[in-house]
Amino acid sequence: VTAPAALADVKILDLMWAIAGPGATRMLADYGATVVRVESSQRFDVCRTVGPFVELPPGPESSVLFHNLNAGKLMLTLDLAKPEARDVMLDLVRWADVVTESFTPKTMRAWGLDYEALRAVRPDVIMLSTCLMGQTGPLADYAGFGNLAAAVTGFYEICGWPDRDPAGPFGAYTDYIAPRFNAVMILAALDHRRRTGEGQHIDLAQAEAAMHFLAPAILDQTVNARTQGRIGNRDPHAAPHGVYPAAGADRWVAIAVTDDGEFAALADVLGRPELAADARFATTAARLAHQEALDEIVAAWTRARDAAESERLLQARRVPASVVQSSRELCDDPQLAHRGHVVKLAHPTAGTTPIEGSRFVLSRTPARVADTAPTLGRDNQYVLETILGYDAERIAALAVAGVLA
Amino acid sequence: MLSPYRVLDLTTERGLLCGQILGDLGADVVKVEPPGGSAARRLAPFAGGEPHPDRSLTWWAFNRNKRGITLDLDTDDGRALMRRLAARADFLIESDAPGAHAVRGLGYEALAAANPALVYVSISPFGQDGPKAGYADTDLVMMAAGGPLLLAGDEDRPPVRVSVPQAYLHAAAEAAVAALIAHHERQRSGRGQHVDVSVQQAVAFATQSTILAAEAGPLAFTRIAGGARLGPLTGRFVWPARDGHVSITLLFGSSFGKFTRRLMEWVHAEGFCDAATRDKDWIGYFDLLFSGAEPVEEYERVKATLARFTATKTKRELFAAAQARGLLIAPVATTAELVASEQLAARDYWRTVAHPELGRAFLYPGPFARTTAAPIAYRRRPPTVGEHNEEIYVGELGLAPEELAALRARRIV
Repeated sequence: VTAPAALADVKILDLMWAIAGPGATRMLADYGATVVRVESSQRFDVCRTVGPFVELPPGPESSVLFHNLNAGKLMLTLDLAKPEARDVMLDLVRWADVVTESFTPKTMRAWGLDYEALRAVRPDVIMLSTCLMGQTGPLADYAGFGNLAAAVTGFYEICGWPDRDPAGPFGAYTDYIAPRFNAVMILAALDHRRRTGEGQHIDLAQAEAAMHFLAPAILDQTVNARTQGRIGNRDPHAAPHGVYPAAGADRWVAIAVTDDGEFAALADVLGRPELAADARFATTAARLAHQEALDEIVAAWTRARDAAESERLLQARRVPASVVQSSRELCDDPQLAHRGHVVKLAHPTAGTTPIEGSRFVLSRTPARVADTAPTLGRDNQYVLETILGYDAERIAALAVAGVLA
Repeated sequence: MLSPYRVLDLTTERGLLCGQILGDLGADVVKVEPPGGSAARRLAPFAGGEPHPDRSLTWWAFNRNKRGITLDLDTDDGRALMRRLAARADFLIESDAPGAHAVRGLGYEALAAANPALVYVSISPFGQDGPKAGYADTDLVMMAAGGPLLLAGDEDRPPVRVSVPQAYLHAAAEAAVAALIAHHERQRSGRGQHVDVSVQQAVAFATQSTILAAEAGPLAFTRIAGGARLGPLTGRFVWPARDGHVSITLLFGSSFGKFTRRLMEWVHAEGFCDAATRDKDWIGYFDLLFSGAEPVEEYERVKATLARFTATKTKRELFAAAQARGLLIAPVATTAELVASEQLAARDYWRTVAHPELGRAFLYPGPFARTTAAPIAYRRRPPTVGEHNEEIYVGELGLAPEELAALRARRIV
């Protein structure tokens, strides 16, 4: 007998958009939460315009990114600029355990849907507000995306080469960190309310949460007044430590040797066992002092073979190594396949779309990933009739007034 | 918010953040380390620069709001004590190699037999089983195996990582979510379960779904310094400023186009482009580029114009304009600039944490969220090695002081 879904009793009214917010409620939907996503076709979620796309030219339902972030949710299209929409929203607030939004603070105020307004109809409401810089302070209403928060918090400055401009991590980096903190706060607030009856307003600034991923460098600043700069792929504790060229165009293998045992194994695999006894390379400190020479030796070996072959030979001796994997390799990766990481789901117009499965396994109540993101308006009838109990007349009036757009 | 709950944190440097998140939220987190201290205490940087197990800033970064005990889990007596601790815990978090704790008799099945409500969280590089489950790993290797690495760096050099290790943080934060999902279910069923978190999968989320591109269609992102390349188009996120760099989200379409329009209005107002350039269809600009109606060279000319403009302004001027004009620009900040941030000061973000063992107090990054109920408090600085041995073994587990002394003498504690 399968246990009921872990979060089968959790109801979320989700006004979030882009990545940091929807990524959190997607995790909860995987484990059975009922998530009603509210979106206006007058104001598309930005992710609908960002690839990869399952069809070209892309339409609003073509984005794999959007499906990946919104799989398993219900969708109500609602134009919040219309006054009648507010009544629908407040009815959904009465229904929901949690209300989530990721606009700048002025937006919810303008709609008459700030925390005080929500609390007036639902005194124990849990409201999660997550924006780039937080609900207060001079930058509260600064709208932006995760590349900007990654720049302003310091990720860009320490990603790249010392002799070059910052390269920065890929994309909207802090958007990939924040969903975990958002989901944690929703779950912790639910536990707090269950025990105390008390709801709350959560103010989660994407930048502030993401800074914890830089905490060692930030403490280096506050404790030692030392400002870290770019060091490429170097590491203070390991050598060789880098990304080495492999046979073929733009093919790479990452190799990181963390102790003398791993170095001896590497030397064996390279067919140069004498290197382990070479005074220049015998200890981590010595290897760190002679990294350039070491990098040349390693690169000469990696360049002569396929990246996957290097990974296989090195891992067979437990030397940390991996192909720097491409999308194709990740989709074909036997380990990710074993974990069910790439899931192909029926798509309304494009046949199928790939999305990612849950990134963890719960042994007794596993994730269920069965549906793509809902198309715009797909669940209007279900939400209004079944969840809110509206009659046909009221639903028709909303449609005629253009509220369900 | 989680104050009723006890957490045993057995993690290595691969999982420290998970317990800290639960501890920040009020849980009673006990960090269990081998006698002499965790290997994570040997990670740089160090307060004052000198390596010392109680001065690792990597340790400080991820172990506040925890108490600390030492215990040798490779001895029979150590395992027996761990079983006693686990019998009264709500969560156990570990990040050893898959199966390592099972061999010690401390795997999920063994501990759940005595405490069926235990939520047992395992964080491992590739997951608990599968063809790569036994692979050797590091941060760099996991960033390669999970996808983000290939997308970052200069196109004429190898892909490059963020130099503060990121991979295990993604997984540890993910693990906190997973633990609380299992905890929510436990309120109904009374039963715990085994939670299996994969670093590789957690890290894959940092590709913004582009790991799926090969299954979706022909367009793929490739790396370029300070941006990304999609097919024939080079998107640029890092731009020059007079005194450094800024990030600009220069994108098009229904969401981004209006920001780009406002940016180009400013560029025009300051005399850096003509009206025709300002008035391009920034909403439909992607379509124009992909259809060929707008040559890629013209897009490159626009970018060169913008770069000439931004290079005349300071980071501060560009950021101020972003706020005043509604633009997507932010400075590429150093940690020194971050610590001086007016926004963080206005929000009273920084927390002063006293380290009496050093006779000093230090600024820590502040709460990851603000709440109207039960706010995050920094109740405890990171523990020194074995700091709470007496408090927990004698005070809470009921060992006699001489029993603890004997365990210490035998180097089990």
